[in-house]
Amino acid sequence: MTASSRISSIGGVHGRLLRVDLEADGTGWCESLAPEVFAEVIGGIGLASLLLLRLCPPGADPLGPENPLIFATSPFAGTGITTSSKIAVAARSPQTGMIGDSLSSSYLALELKRTGHDALAITGCAPEWSILVVEDGRTHLRPAEGLLGLSPGDTADRLRAELGTEFRVAAIGTAGEHGVRYAAIANDGRLAGRTGSGAVMGAKRLKAIAVRGSRLPRAADPRGVAILARDLATRSVGPATAKYREIGTVANVAFFNRLGLLPTRNFAGGHFDGAEALSGETLRLEHHTGQHACAACTVGCEHHYRTLDGGPETSVRLEYETLFALGSLCGVSDPNAVLRASALCDELGMDAISAGGTIAWAMECRERGVDLGVPANEIPRWGDGAAVLRTLRQIGSREGIGDLLAEGSRAAAERVGQGSDVWAMHVKGLELPGYDPRKLKTLAVGLAVAARGACHNRSSAYEVDLSDRLDSEADARERAAAAAAAEDQAALLDSLTLCKFLRHALHDVHEESAALHRAVTGLATTADDLHQAGARIGEVKKRFNLAQGWTRALDTLPPRLLDLQVPSDGDGANIDPVWLDRQIDAYYSARGWDHEGRPAPN
Amino acid sequence: MTRSHHSPVSNPSPITLQPSCPVTSPPSVTIELFGVPQLLTGTRSVTANGATLADLAVDLVCRNPALAGRVLDASTGWPLDGYSFVVDEQFTRDRNLPLNIGTSVLLVASAAGG
Repeated sequence: MTASSRISSIGGVHGRLLRVDLEADGTGWCESLAPEVFAEVIGGIGLASLLLLRLCPPGADPLGPENPLIFATSPFAGTGITTSSKIAVAARSPQTGMIGDSLSSSYLALELKRTGHDALAITGCAPEWSILVVEDGRTHLRPAEGLLGLSPGDTADRLRAELGTEFRVAAIGTAGEHGVRYAAIANDGRLAGRTGSGAVMGAKRLKAIAVRGSRLPRAADPRGVAILARDLATRSVGPATAKYREIGTVANVAFFNRLGLLPTRNFAGGHFDGAEALSGETLRLEHHTGQHACAACTVGCEHHYRTLDGGPETSVRLEYETLFALGSLCGVSDPNAVLRASALCDELGMDAISAGGTIAWAMECRERGVDLGVPANEIPRWGDGAAVLRTLRQIGSREGIGDLLAEGSRAAAERVGQGSDVWAMHVKGLELPGYDPRKLKTLAVGLAVAARGACHNRSSAYEVDLSDRLDSEADARERAAAAAAAEDQAALLDSLTLCKFLRHALHDVHEESAALHRAVTGLATTADDLHQAGARIGEVKKRFNLAQGWTRALDTLPPRLLDLQVPSDGDGANIDPVWLDRQIDAYYSARGWDHEGRPAPN
Repeated sequence: MTRSHHSPVSNPSPITLQPSCPVTSPPSVTIELFGVPQLLTGTRSVTANGATLADLAVDLVCRNPALAGRVLDASTGWPLDGYSFVVDEQFTRDRNLPLNIGTSVLLVASAAGG
């Protein structure tokens, strides 16, 4: 198969995009999606990115009516292939100004696909706070009366009680209502968390989207899909995923701390004295209440933990990224405080990584005597869990110091000046995930060049560093190729909408994915086609960024990591900027891009 | 450094033990356990003997049958997919890697965020 060959129809998709204009009473219309689109960019993140490139005008205000808010599914969603029920969300990010894309699991993807569409693109701005109702091919707006101020979960409960429990709901919390630039969109207890899609939805005055449908497309070879899906499901509950099933991603804490990789006190170092109390092993033994799985998932990685501090008991889903961002990054070692902060981020509907990263920046500002425009005692200190909770509430409602911190660390540092940008830990405006790049050199390259900013999910290059695949002294060409390959694989999985936790259960990600793709779509997909698709999706994102003003200067790391004069608590030398530049040159070369990081005109 | 507790890990699978553990020679090495290996054994560190990483793996699985078939291959002791040894802070699959007294060995699950 070649991506450019003519294809009449394929299985697993409807070939239809639902467009909605909020300024025309939520009127919807259908546009066709050519089969070639699914061969070229697969679906999920690839499809959402391509639609964004086509529909978002250059320079569109991220919080304006022209910025499309896109939801996209994949050919695998609804087939019964384990973990494939995921929905991609894309818009121009109000946090970064670049591509904003995120992925959320569970039932919403299935229900959107049942409406007879593979994707939904919303433009315009509703005249008043509204709910968009999508029922098969019909759309309409209804007032969001009585729902403002509610959490995403309560909003969904209320709407499903009124409309019917067959509806699935995506909603924002107060963070989205107040334009917090890292607000999320939540569905079924999961979040499309990063890059601020919740703020885009809030700017459109959309409190929620309620979706119900009645028809899924047929796979090309349903029997073949069933056989392959059963085999994958069996392997998905083997040793390769035991970590996720038995403990969850919080298992990273102790092991990362042991290796000096656990970002602590705003990346001052990689060892946290309080890691023992926050470790996955401790949480499993002392706080665990149960585990859950997303729709159509056999892994069941979602673990819930309860508070044990004598206050009102809360049981909350917790992941490693939330734990590090609201824990070690802010110097907080009380697991109860972190659990409450995690629950609060879900309730307010905002990205916990960016929330924790921005609060950690404010903590460092206080320590260094930077004037943030409020009395110093209103800014949390390292380790003060109660103050973190108070600050999160202020961010969600943009009150007091929360109004500044709702902008994210980059914009907040630009606003207050005083040299505070040096310890704003972001790439392209997106706060860093929980891996110290000083010790993870391939990830350092991956984070610097990633289209959506610092993100471990779009550049899983840490996998290269946490393996024996590359020598620590590998040359730039080898490291760049590894970073590009990791990025391409992540783009592929996010577009097939297969969970990355399956990686170690797959003998060969591309070969096995190609077999599944053939059975679902009927195309003659090869592993090589999928390698090319992964790279193509990365290029689509780059072209979007170029259209929105990206320059090479944005492909870098925070100054704190690059300043060779600044010690880093002995947890790993800082990164030589000359070394990083050489790696970035090699990365562009590996991609076939010019010295400035631009692909050839297409 | 060690603590004992009832393992909370679910669904223990049948374990195949070798008829007898090999007679191994020093050096004796401390292996730090993280995540599922720690929960399965109920301890944070164990000791095993082996002049190479492969020898150590065999001795490790013999002394800790709870890890057999779930973390380590029951006969060779080598980590199953999703697990890895970290020797002196380097991830390695080098079975012939020589070990000395004082070598740092960790047994960890592969990392992936979330």
